[in-house]
This record gives sequence, structure tokens and C-alpha cells, in this order.
Amino acid sequence: MLEQLLIFTRGGLILWTCKEIGNALKGSPIDTLIRSCLLEERSGAVSFNYDAPGAAYTLKWTFHNDLGLVFVAVYQRILHLLYVDDLLSMVKQSFSEIYDPKRMSYDDFDETFRQLRIEAEARAEELRKTKQVGKPVSSVKKQGQVSKAGLEGGNKRVSEGGSKKDDGDGNKAKVSTLTNGHSNGNHQMEDDSQETDLANGKENTSCNVAVDLSKLQKLRSKGVRGRGGVRKTDSIGNKSSKVAAAEPAKKATKKNRVWDDAAPKQSKLDFTDSVDDNGNNDHVDIVAADQGESMMDKEEVFSSDSESEDDDEPGSDEKPAEAKKKGWFSSVFQSITGKANLEKTDLGPALKALKERLMTKNVAEEIAEKLCESVEASLEGKKLSSFTRISSTVQAAMEDALVRILTPRRSIDILRDVHAAKEQRKPYVVVFVGVNGVGKSTNLAKVAYWLQQHKVSVMMAACDTFRSGAVEQLRTHARRLQIPIFEKGYEKDPAVVAKEAIQEATRNGSDVVLVDTAGRMQDNEPLMRALSKLINLNQPDLVLFVGEALVGNDAVDQLSKFNQKLSDLSTSGNPRLIDGILLTKFDTIDDKVGAALSMVYISGSPVMFVGCGQSYTDLKKLNVKAIVKTLLK
Amino acid sequence: MENLEDLKILAEQWSHQGIEYLQKIPPTQLYAAIGVLLFTTILLFLSVRLVRRTKSNTVLLSGLSGSGKTVLFYQLRDGSSHQGTVTSMEPNEGTFVLHSENTKKGKIKPVHLVDVPGHSRLRPKLEEFLPQAAAIVFVVDALEFLPNCRAASEYLYDILTNANVVKKKIPVLLCCNKTDKLTAHTKEFIRKQMEKEIEKLRASRSAVSTADIANDFTIGIEGEVFSFSHCSNKVTVAEASGLTGETVQIEDFIREYIKP
Repeated sequence: MLEQLLIFTRGGLILWTCKEIGNALKGSPIDTLIRSCLLEERSGAVSFNYDAPGAAYTLKWTFHNDLGLVFVAVYQRILHLLYVDDLLSMVKQSFSEIYDPKRMSYDDFDETFRQLRIEAEARAEELRKTKQVGKPVSSVKKQGQVSKAGLEGGNKRVSEGGSKKDDGDGNKAKVSTLTNGHSNGNHQMEDDSQETDLANGKENTSCNVAVDLSKLQKLRSKGVRGRGGVRKTDSIGNKSSKVAAAEPAKKATKKNRVWDDAAPKQSKLDFTDSVDDNGNNDHVDIVAADQGESMMDKEEVFSSDSESEDDDEPGSDEKPAEAKKKGWFSSVFQSITGKANLEKTDLGPALKALKERLMTKNVAEEIAEKLCESVEASLEGKKLSSFTRISSTVQAAMEDALVRILTPRRSIDILRDVHAAKEQRKPYVVVFVGVNGVGKSTNLAKVAYWLQQHKVSVMMAACDTFRSGAVEQLRTHARRLQIPIFEKGYEKDPAVVAKEAIQEATRNGSDVVLVDTAGRMQDNEPLMRALSKLINLNQPDLVLFVGEALVGNDAVDQLSKFNQKLSDLSTSGNPRLIDGILLTKFDTIDDKVGAALSMVYISGSPVMFVGCGQSYTDLKKLNVKAIVKTLLK
Repeated sequence: MENLEDLKILAEQWSHQGIEYLQKIPPTQLYAAIGVLLFTTILLFLSVRLVRRTKSNTVLLSGLSGSGKTVLFYQLRDGSSHQGTVTSMEPNEGTFVLHSENTKKGKIKPVHLVDVPGHSRLRPKLEEFLPQAAAIVFVVDALEFLPNCRAASEYLYDILTNANVVKKKIPVLLCCNKTDKLTAHTKEFIRKQMEKEIEKLRASRSAVSTADIANDFTIGIEGEVFSFSHCSNKVTVAEASGLTGETVQIEDFIREYIKP
């Protein structure tokens, strides 16, 4: 049963709610939907899950872009209503007929809605009955979109609308409904192998998407966690996180690698220097307090290129000659009259061209896809204003969307946060995490330099106790910048070292503690566990993910896995996730700035710093407008 | 006396010379010249009058997400907030006569009211509307004030240091909404808290003073604790309640700056 169906304008006024179903919604699902989905450019997703104490809802929506209306349906997640999509489109159609911008109340719509609902329910019943007759359906609706395995973010979910109402199908139906970015991969494989299950399960009111074998391969290799051999339907009952936990705990300890046949050394290698004050450090240059202004404080000077509107038609080059002529003429005609309602087919080529362009700028493929879907959802049905081409409308919409994504959701004023923490007499703790070799230690030193320039007292904590030379590296930086460093040498537990560092900082009154951690791959279970422990134990104020701008599609995987691990392995109710991103090696890419977009989109956290070189002053803020311009050039 | 006589004679001489000169010019040219002169003066006159008349009548409703701007917008326009609101994704604009003034007789100048979404991702939209604003109403949630105090003060700080606002001295009304609830804070409390927070912001932002990229100007007087009276534009505080329709103070403010 539907919990609620709302119609509201994009400006925020509710025009109509269903008064028959008078249930008040628990929590505020609509607001959350708007904030975390529609404004985050995820409007291309199929549905949204909302959990509040005492309720678990799923929300589906559709837009009427021309009139600026949004239609949202809310229902309980355990029910899988088939008719919701259908109902939404019917409601959209009939409401747009009676809509008038001056009218504020639409009580007469109640009757219409009741009829529509009865119709939709009846139709769904029929469809279900006909399917029960045993038509094996070989695949799942929208599998293509869902099978992008990397995308988890707890709220992504493909609603399949499996026939929940059927009593006979207890767990069989569960097969169809449990979806998760990962489980879908196996899901698909199982579909093929066990056709009998599908006899009643799969909904599929419309097209059957053919199984794409190549996608299967991709899925498998993309780290579908430990599900390889498991094919039973019951196992799917477990959430994927449990499966991850069930993975062999035998990987708990990391054994030293033995490269040759030589017998392993008995003693542990520990080259910790006994901490001597000034012993052999005289030859190290102490950097003068001023190496110049950090680029964080310099105004960004970028030349404003003239708008080049003539060269934005790459799409037309792809069309064959004859179709090109006709296409050009009709598009020019349409652009002058400006009456056309944008359809998916019209937007298709323009969006495809845009997606290609984004991908050449090093944006991850899935992100580009999702963005294009979101822009499509927001433009479909809109009237083209006169004298504009479709491509320029699409471009403008995409630019808007990009600016919206890259604009930070919360304040990134670190100095302000530091001052706030100072008032409470606690040190402000920043933890730098990331995979191997992205530049954590280098950029930590840059941040320390910048903070020092603003009269903030900094302390470094050397919690990278694994890599040889890491502690010495930080020690050298500390000596050059003349800031204290807390170190305990190698082979110590980083979480404990961090804890002691923070206590030391409280004692000697440092404002900020910068914690350096060892690089680790996102798939490495024990290392991620160690990281989670460090974060849980110390509850830092800022968890900064360091990512390099050179990364391509892996950015999506890195960030989503990091976030997932941090949330899964967290002990408290409120898991600390990645709060900000530090983008490094920005000077090595010329205009392939897409990594910034991928990272921000997938994690939702803002880019706080950009590292653009290897000296202390090479740290700057992200210039949103410049990046958007470069991406769409 | 003699000087005056001399001047008179000089003037007469000049006028004679001028008339002779004028008579030398063919009449058509003369008429054409006079025509052009008249035309340009009329044009100038009209344009000056027009420029003066298009004094902006735009009032901006801004504030954090959830403070009640959309409700206030509909209250001012229709006298009721209809069936409720959700988080706005786009600005609400309208040019209308305020609802309470519908009953007044005579021609009242309509007000162009713009409700700008408060969500931080939509912050750039505010920049679009600031150049044409004649007055700004900054709405604050008096009920949930303390948790949002920092974010609200940062937003207000950004508005007060915006180039357009400083140069044109746009007046700002700090409106405390939701005062119909029992546990809502008073406007005096809110004002003091905001002043304190802005003082802190001033200190931390001016630490970046050599290249303050974020803010165009600084506000307040050096060495003194910040107070709203230090701003070059006028900042006042008022109370309102969107749900019950208590919007008298806002309307007074609007009418003060947009003459009916």
C-alpha cells in the first residue's frame, strides 16, 4: 500500500497530497530525498531508500520538467509495489492537464487519483497473474544500469518490484528483490542457471534486457566479494556486508614475505633511531619561516577565454552525411521556432557526445553515465526556448549540474574549525588516508606549512609505521619547518601512536595534529581494519582522503570502498566517513581534470585542498568555475 | 556704475554680432540644428526620469535551508502557506502587492519578491540576484538556532561582505522566524549571538588578510567588537512567524524601502 503520494513544485510548495491515505510519514523522507539525491545529481537513479526509527521507506519520483513539478511516491520497503512507476506516469499526465500556476489547491484531483490508483492496481494484478503462468524471464529489468558494481553508496538500489504479494513464494521472491550493487552480479548469473526460480519471481513489465556477457565478465573481475562459488538462493538472504565479514578471518595477520628460499630472519627489522635531540642533524637546512606565500592564499588568476560556441558540435560529425543534412536542418528549424518538447531521442546524441567529452577528460565512466542520466531526467519534456539548439541547452544544464556537484555542501573553512577547536582547548586532529604513493606525506608537510603561515601551531604524528623511511621523512619535514613531531618508530600499532600523539598535543598546547598513515589498497581487509581502528579510537575532526588527479576509473572504487569499510567496521552507531578530499599531482595533468569530479560525486565530500607541485607552497583551493570550464571545453 | 554700463554695451555688441552671424546661416540648417538640440534634450530628460523610476523593487528572502523562507514567501503573497512546503530546489519569484495590502485603496507599487533556496549547493543562485536587490531579508530559525548558529552566521557574513551589498548599502533585516513556538529564542538573544559569531569569523577570516579570496570586503571597525551598527548598510532585527501569518514587521521593513 502506498504510504503517500506528493506533488510539489521545484520551488518547494506542495500542491497536492493524497488525503485518503492519511498516514503521517515518519521522519522527513521527502526532504532527505531532495537533499541527498535530487540535488546531488542522482536523479537518474530508480529509487531512493530512507530509514527512520520505526519505518523503512522507498521513494520513487518523476519530473515534469516543463512545468517544474515533481511527483513523489512513498511506500514501505518490504512491500514491492509493481504499479508505482505506472501510477506516477499516469498521475503526471493527468495532473499536467489541470495544472495552473495560479491555483494553489487541487482538491478535485482526489477523485481522479483514486480512479487512477484503482486502475493501476488492477493492471498490476493482471500482469502478475499472466506471469505466473510460467514465462521464464531471463533477465532483470534495468540490469544494465545496476550492474555497475562499483556503485554502492547505501542508497542506491534497483527496485525490481518482484511479486511480493504472492504468498507461495516466500524466499523465492526474496531472490528477486534483494539487490545490492554487488549481489546483482551473482544475481544475474543465478538467473541464467536457475530458470525455475524465475518462473514467478521476476517482474519485468516491459522490455527484457538481454544479458550482456561482457558485463558479466567485468562484474566478476571488479571484485564481487567472495561470492564466486556461492549459488544458493538462501545465501543471498545475507546482506553483502555479512558475507564480507564471513570471509576468512585467516587473513588477520600479515606474514612477512619470503622472497627466496633463504630461511627468514629471526629478528624483526627495526631501524628505529634512538631519538637524539640535535646529534647529527646540523647539516639539515632549517627552512626559513618564509618560503613565500602558500598558493592557498594567492588569488587564482585565470584567463577568461572567449566563449567558443561554434566548436561544440562534435556530435554532428558522427552522423552520416545525409542524415546530417536533414538533422541539421530540422534542428535549426526547431531551434528557431522553439516549440519542440525535448524527448529522450533528441537528447540522446547530445548527451552521448557530452559523455564522450567528459570521458576524454578523465572522468570515470560510471560517473559520466550517471551524470548524463541525471541531466536527461531534468531536461526531458522541457520546452526548448527559441533560438537555442538542443546541444546548447544540454550543455547549459550539464554546466549547472557540474557547478552544483562541485560546490561544497558544507563549509570548508579549516581555519575556522581550528579556531573553534582551540576555544574548546582540544587539538584539531586531521588524519590523512589514501592508497599507496598518492602523496600523503608530501602534502601533509604542505598543509603544515600553510597552517604555520596562519599562526597555528602544528604537530605531526608519524603513524606510518610500516614503510621504511616514512618516519625519517616526516622528521626531516618537521625539522625544516620547525614543528614538533611525535613518533614511536616502526612496527608499532598506529592507532596507539596516534592516541598518544593527541595526548601529547593536548599537553603541550598544539592547535592542530596532522596524522600520517601508511598507504593501503582499498581491497586489503586487514589494513582497512587497522585504519578503521585508528579512526574509531581517536575520533579525528577531519578524515582527509588523499587522491591523485592521475587516477582514472579506480577513483570510484577507491573512495566507495574506503567509505564502505569505514562504515562497516565502525564500532559506534555514527560511523566516521571521509570528510574531505585532498587532490594531489594536479600539476601533472593539463586539462584532464575529471578525477576531481569523479571523487566528489561518488563520495559527496568536498575537495578541500589541491596539491599542485612538490614544494611547500604548492597547495591551493579548488576553483570550481575553472574546472567546469575545462571539463566542458 | 560705469562698469555696469560698459558691460551692458559689451553685451549689446555681442548680441548684435551673434544675431548677424545667425542671420548669415541658411534657415534650413538653423531649423535642423534647433530640432536636433530639442530632440537630444528631450531624450536626456526622459532617460534621466526613467533611470530614476527603475529603482529596483526587488526584495530577497535568504537564509539557511529549513528556516522558513518559502512559507514566508507564500504568506506575504497569498496570506497562507497552503499545504506546506519542502526543501526548495529553485528560487520562487513573484511580483505582487503584499497580501495584507490588497484591501488598501489606491495604486500600490508591487514588490518583486524572490525566495532564494538556502541549500548550500545552491548558494551561487544568491549571487545572481544580489545585484538587483533593494533590500534583503535574512531569515533565521529561532527554534533551532544554536545548532545552526555557525552556519547561519557564515552565510550572513558572506552576504554582508559581498561587493554589491557594501557598495549599494543594501539594508538587511535579520528576521527570526518560528517565534510562535514556546521555545523559540528572542530576537535580542539571536542578535547578540550572531554578533559574537561574526566577530569570530572576522578574526579568522582576516587572518588570511593579504589575499582574502573568499570575501571582498571586511566589516566592522578594527579593534572593536563587532556590532551590527558598524555596518555601512543598515541591519535591523525583527520577529515573525510564517505558520501563523505574523509577518507585520517584515512588511513594514519592505515598505520602508520600497515606497508604495
